[in-house]
Amino acid sequence: MAVVSIPGGGEVDQLYAETRELRLQGFLLFLVSDIVLFSSFIFAYLYLRNSGQGWPPPGITRPSISLAALNSAVLFGSGATMHYALENFKRGNFSRYASLMLCTIVLGILFLCGQAIEYTTLYVHDHVSWAGSGIFGASFFTLTGMHGFHVFCGVCYLIVLLLQSVHGVYDKNKYFGLTAGTLYWHFVDVIWVVLFSIFYLV
Amino acid sequence: MSVIAEHGGIAEHIHPEPQGFVRKYIFSLDHKIIGIQYIITAFVFFVLAGCLAELIRIQLMNANGGFLTPDVYDEVYSIHGSAMVWLVVIPILTGGFGNFVMPVQIGARDVAFPWLNMISFWIFPIAGLMLFSSFLMGAPVAGWTEYPPMSLQGGAGTSMWCAAIFLVGVSSTLTGMNFLVTMLKMRAPGMTFTRMPLFCWGQFATAPLLMIATTALAAALAALFMERQFGVPFYDPTKGGSPVLWQHMFWFYSHPAVYIMILPAFGIMSEVISVFSRKPIFGYRLIAFSSAAIALSGFMVWAHHMFTSGIAPYMQLPYMVLTFVIAVPTGVKIFSWLATMWGGKIHLTTSMLFAIGFLVLFTFGGISGVFLAAIPFDLHVHGTYFIPAHLHFVLVGGSLMGVFSGMYYWFPKMTGRYMSELWGRAHFVLFTIGFIGTFLPMHYLGAQGMPRRVATYDIQFQGINQFESICSFIMTAAILIFFINMIYSIRNGKPAGHNPWGARTLEWQIPSPPPYYNFKRIPSVYGLPYDFTEPLPYKHLEEELSDTPVAVGAH
Repeated sequence: MAVVSIPGGGEVDQLYAETRELRLQGFLLFLVSDIVLFSSFIFAYLYLRNSGQGWPPPGITRPSISLAALNSAVLFGSGATMHYALENFKRGNFSRYASLMLCTIVLGILFLCGQAIEYTTLYVHDHVSWAGSGIFGASFFTLTGMHGFHVFCGVCYLIVLLLQSVHGVYDKNKYFGLTAGTLYWHFVDVIWVVLFSIFYLV
Repeated sequence: MSVIAEHGGIAEHIHPEPQGFVRKYIFSLDHKIIGIQYIITAFVFFVLAGCLAELIRIQLMNANGGFLTPDVYDEVYSIHGSAMVWLVVIPILTGGFGNFVMPVQIGARDVAFPWLNMISFWIFPIAGLMLFSSFLMGAPVAGWTEYPPMSLQGGAGTSMWCAAIFLVGVSSTLTGMNFLVTMLKMRAPGMTFTRMPLFCWGQFATAPLLMIATTALAAALAALFMERQFGVPFYDPTKGGSPVLWQHMFWFYSHPAVYIMILPAFGIMSEVISVFSRKPIFGYRLIAFSSAAIALSGFMVWAHHMFTSGIAPYMQLPYMVLTFVIAVPTGVKIFSWLATMWGGKIHLTTSMLFAIGFLVLFTFGGISGVFLAAIPFDLHVHGTYFIPAHLHFVLVGGSLMGVFSGMYYWFPKMTGRYMSELWGRAHFVLFTIGFIGTFLPMHYLGAQGMPRRVATYDIQFQGINQFESICSFIMTAAILIFFINMIYSIRNGKPAGHNPWGARTLEWQIPSPPPYYNFKRIPSVYGLPYDFTEPLPYKHLEEELSDTPVAVGAH
């Protein structure tokens, strides 16, 4: 146990450790505030959508639901692989963990590619843009773009986690980073469920 | 060996004592230093925003204006309001007093995430400078609320305003998370929620508001920024957006924000009134739970700011009723404090004088708030001087009085010296007279229909406005006395010892100023800190004031 000396003599235990419990709580609160951020924009979207202009507003084609459904399947699949990656890590099955993690990353990148295709089609083919298509463009691109940005950050975070675990930063008893990564990835999934329902289904 | 397990899940935080000026006082991880940094920075912004207030009052000396151009006048009151809310009152009450006092009061050695704490602090002065720098590029002109479409038309400074408030919001959100985790996980053994000092209860009720409401504001600001910079239509009605959307999102934050600004001040009141009445606080649980009730119901009343904005009538009534309901837990607190003072041995220190001033002035402001919640009355006075009158009574008469009270109360803990009581009294008397003289007549002006946020006004109101301006100079003089007193007392005040007020909460049981590790041994708590007839409800505090070395692991 590390100790620190007190001026005037004597020592106290040094334990400058942000314990797992504290970090988990802090991380959950971070996710809560992120949920509030999304909720506010979702509120704005629903408010504008119901402001009496009809939906979609005249002259706007809605994005294709089939591509979005495929993309959702990819993202939810990555949620499953992430879950099993963590489970395998906890059981000490490192090689399966690493391959599942790699799967998650690849699926995440695929999702981003799908979103890029969707955006390009909307922009080039249907002439729907962020700033030029009224409240539809504003709410659709802002919310899905914000989610896409979260997925992008998540992919980067997962790559860092994978590299860290290859270098042996985490072990069976100490893997908070992986827990946080998993929580974050599931959070991104859940947000997508909501966005998919409000933009494509209803 | 697992120290955590030994202490019943209480994580102990202690970092090595920082060496060198920069690590010790600039980029400090110590919650007490960070708290003082917050207080100093907020006071600097307080002086700047106070100067803006005086510019407003000088302009209003004359019915035809003439001191400032109308555009500059708009910029001045917009930045005055924004700075006072986001750079003064919120940071000083949460980041300032919350940081300095709360971890010690719950028996912890630091907040949960000291690094995050340092980052939250350093975002704050940067955001403050950004806010004031918006003057250089055409400051916002739509008041602190920045309603579109006017805020869409203001100068480039409005975008800077968005960025600055966004950043200050990030700082608040991080502080809220940090405090919440600290209070949930790092209380000393035996410090249950029903034994936690009421100041901590104030912070505990504030922290989720900081976290949740501020994030909602961040979304509103981001949308305004995108609309201004990239033309993304959210609020512009000509492109299908809705200006009322901003009002919903803004007030969903800003109504809880008024509780962010008052709940910590309520906490200060509970400490000060109990200590200087030498009586156990009356209705401890009621005060604690009413804080939580206020925080919760604060999220459900935001549309009472929007009765004139054209919201549906079926929505107006519930908001009116809920707003009336919020007055109940607030009244519970006021009566609990009065009952605490009743029959107590009241020590009229400066801190207590400000607490009594708070009781009177805040209650007055609270009652005019109940007036405003009534839709017919609100429709009549909306956009008149009645609104500034009400909000200054709750913000200055409430929050700022709380800040002064807390400052006189905890100054000996921060520095080991008293502030001058004589000059403190002068501060109190002049400030209260100046404040009442400035803001009380505004109720009358508002009821008569003098509109707010206009650089000129009807000549019939000129006499009253001149009287108000003169009173505001008295208030400024009082604040000058406060600052001189404070700066002088840092080095030259009377030495105060570790517990000059005979208070019983944990921060007064350790030396002044507290050592960087707070406690040699984490104390155990077995009672409320307010029972003045009983022995102190703490164990393991014997060594705190002595030079006795503590053996390693002697817990």
